[in-house]
Amino acid sequence: MKYFTRYLSVYPTALLYMLQDTEYRLDRYAKWFLRTNDFTKVMKRRSLEVTPKIKLLRMVLWGLWALIILAVAVLVIIGYTSQSFMLGLIAILLVVLLPYILAFGIIVPLLVGAFVIQKPRERAMIERARAIFKDSKATRIAIAGSFGKTTMKEILRTVLAEGKIVAATPGNMNTAIGISRFASRLIGDEEVLIIELGEEHVGDVKLLSELSRPTMGVITGINEAHLISFKTLDKTVSTVFELVDYVGKKAIVYKNGESQLVRDNVTSEDAYVFTQKGVNGWKVTKSHTSLDGTHFTATKGSTTINAHTHLLGLHTIGMTVTAIAIAHDLGLSAKQIEAGLQNVEPFEHRMQPRKLHGAWIIDDTYNGNSQGVQAGLELLASLSAKRRIYVTPGLVEQGSSTQDVHELIGQQAAESADIVVLMQNSVTDYIVQGLSDSDFKGEIMIIDNPLEFYTNLDQFVAAGDVVLMQNDWTDNYK
Amino acid sequence: MKKTVAVFFGGRSPEHDISIITALSSVIKPLLLTKKYDIVPVYITKTGKWVSDAKLLDIKTYQGHMIDDLTKKSKPLAVNFDGGFSIGKKRIDIAFPAMHGAYGEDGSLMGLLRMAGIPFVGSDMDASVIAMDKVLTKQVASANAIPTSKYVFFARTDITENVRAVVAKVEKSLTYPLFVKPAHLGSSIGISKVKNTLELTNALEVAAYYDEKIIVEEAVPNLIEVTVPIIGNSILTPALVEQPLTIGDNLFDFDKKYLSGGGKKGGAKQSGSQGYSELPAKIPSQLYEKSLSVAESVYKVIGATGIARIDLLIDEKKGEVYFNEVNPLPGSLYAHNWRASGISGIELVEKLIGYAEERFEEKNKLTSTFDSSFLQQF
Repeated sequence: MKYFTRYLSVYPTALLYMLQDTEYRLDRYAKWFLRTNDFTKVMKRRSLEVTPKIKLLRMVLWGLWALIILAVAVLVIIGYTSQSFMLGLIAILLVVLLPYILAFGIIVPLLVGAFVIQKPRERAMIERARAIFKDSKATRIAIAGSFGKTTMKEILRTVLAEGKIVAATPGNMNTAIGISRFASRLIGDEEVLIIELGEEHVGDVKLLSELSRPTMGVITGINEAHLISFKTLDKTVSTVFELVDYVGKKAIVYKNGESQLVRDNVTSEDAYVFTQKGVNGWKVTKSHTSLDGTHFTATKGSTTINAHTHLLGLHTIGMTVTAIAIAHDLGLSAKQIEAGLQNVEPFEHRMQPRKLHGAWIIDDTYNGNSQGVQAGLELLASLSAKRRIYVTPGLVEQGSSTQDVHELIGQQAAESADIVVLMQNSVTDYIVQGLSDSDFKGEIMIIDNPLEFYTNLDQFVAAGDVVLMQNDWTDNYK
Repeated sequence: MKKTVAVFFGGRSPEHDISIITALSSVIKPLLLTKKYDIVPVYITKTGKWVSDAKLLDIKTYQGHMIDDLTKKSKPLAVNFDGGFSIGKKRIDIAFPAMHGAYGEDGSLMGLLRMAGIPFVGSDMDASVIAMDKVLTKQVASANAIPTSKYVFFARTDITENVRAVVAKVEKSLTYPLFVKPAHLGSSIGISKVKNTLELTNALEVAAYYDEKIIVEEAVPNLIEVTVPIIGNSILTPALVEQPLTIGDNLFDFDKKYLSGGGKKGGAKQSGSQGYSELPAKIPSQLYEKSLSVAESVYKVIGATGIARIDLLIDEKKGEVYFNEVNPLPGSLYAHNWRASGISGIELVEKLIGYAEERFEEKNKLTSTFDSSFLQQF
């Protein structure tokens, strides 16, 4: 019966939702479409956002539908009057194929739009951006890595803004077109530009470096993210280190020494490898973290910085001390740096604490990497609470490491949480296995309706609880 | 296998609408989220008709004419006592009364459920009867040396036949200011604070409009009003001592409790089902501890089980805590206070179901029949 949901009125909306939710990436759309059987249950997390693009596609979809129905009607009438069995058969075939014609027919205007309008327009924008960066006198700091890019960018932006005119790529605008859009909005008086470089395929960081011409860089860490497209971790490493190839010989690139894959690719003499202990002569002491934020002292020569950010977790210290080092080298005073650090707030959905009925909720739902999971679980373990509750669906795109990564998450969660809440999906069993391997004695809750859980969180928690919510899967993952 | 829980709400009481909110937000929602129970909603209309339908689980059903259409169209609900309890075709494992006031919280429904022979949440019939009679509770408290404010009480007919005599009797026994209350109503309905003969006369007539029995109490001076929710059967767990905040006339009436967002004074306040309050109450620790102790004593002496909320009056200068009244099924279960006390909405309903089953098992251990040769004589 589920098959016939393809003939319900919700079907075209479900197709449009799938396109929108996969950000019009046709490979993901096609995979999602082909594995879906019940189209009434596609929209779980949100509903279709009616944008001008969706309006246009909806018109195309209904136009296509009307055309096929008309064709079927004409075939039936002609077939009946001319007693043609073949025409009747074609009409039936059209009805059977209707859902597939709609599903794949809708791709045509997208492809036409992309190649005829979007691509030439984007090419022109990228060329303009290339010229803007070439003429720019600003210090250009590129940030690359599998994780931590946004956090690093925001710490740097907030601290440097105390003494410099700073502009940074907004949100996740880290592709060639995103960076070019950012360039088009620059006024020209900026003293520092912070540019986040995205990576999904070999050569991406090199291309984006050639576009934005960074004079300095930060590699925030490397892990299994995008392993499906990179195929091997070596390719991920070499892609991220394309930033060093571009900048490194003549300028500075800070590198996260707490990321194993970064550490394996730097020399012990490299002064720009940052950890919780410091970087480039800066020594970190008296560090501690709580729900109030993270405190530490950084000292280099006669300069001492009493750092207090509102970020949670000791893992943020490495990036923070890097920001201190960069700010100091760019001429900011200790006072300016300390004031800037005070303004560093948790970023939306990244280790962001909030109170709910006396319970602490740490929203880390934008965290989709194994290092972030470990950092979050370490923080959870360090907090005193009536109940420490860990909520996660697991991680996506872990390639052949999927089972190992999730068993490890289970083992780490067993040490940190009293209750583990898992969103039922393809990796749940691996996490449960990890919990079991560590002889977890607490409660395991498996949730089959994540949206219901998230919207009713107030019913699950009470004063004294600390809840860590890590990662959230969109509807196109299962 | 999931257990089936029948949730009773609505009812022939002025607190009908409050009961719907209690049932939907504080009982049914958390029960469904546990995934351990099937819910049978049993809605009792203002005229006493019983209705059970899945649409009753949605608050929107009650916000227009839909509820009237539903109750009109629905067939009379068949309830069977066939060696268990069935509503329609569904066998009920546990009952969860979410009703306030008459014909629900006052022991009536509990009597029915006792006859049905199934576990049910909250106090049993006898404790409910005592708790819902402000005079009886005071008498039970006084008999157990629990301090209460001075009071007198009258039958409705005393007032309707000779209100002057009643006023004279009150003025002879008590000192103004006074509170006049219908003995059986909750949510402060029909309650007045009076300071002279004229106000007293009017208040008695108003109260007599609502109830068969009317109680007149002396106001406690230097008053701090607090309330203590408690759960448990033999081992009690109190929540936080909570101080409802009032303005003007110091009376926390129906409008303030449910409609106007409470008596907001400003400052950091907790907004709960019963408006604004200080949670926990900012009172000296000695009074805080005494309040908990008095509340637990009252809970025990009236025989409450499952859940109840004990209202207390504190004379701040004297440092004396007086028992005021008991609410055997507090609005929305006082979930806001339980959450602040460290018990989530889900934990609360699961504990209440556990207490119901525990009491049921204990009761089943008692012998209820005995063999005799009495009939052989005939």
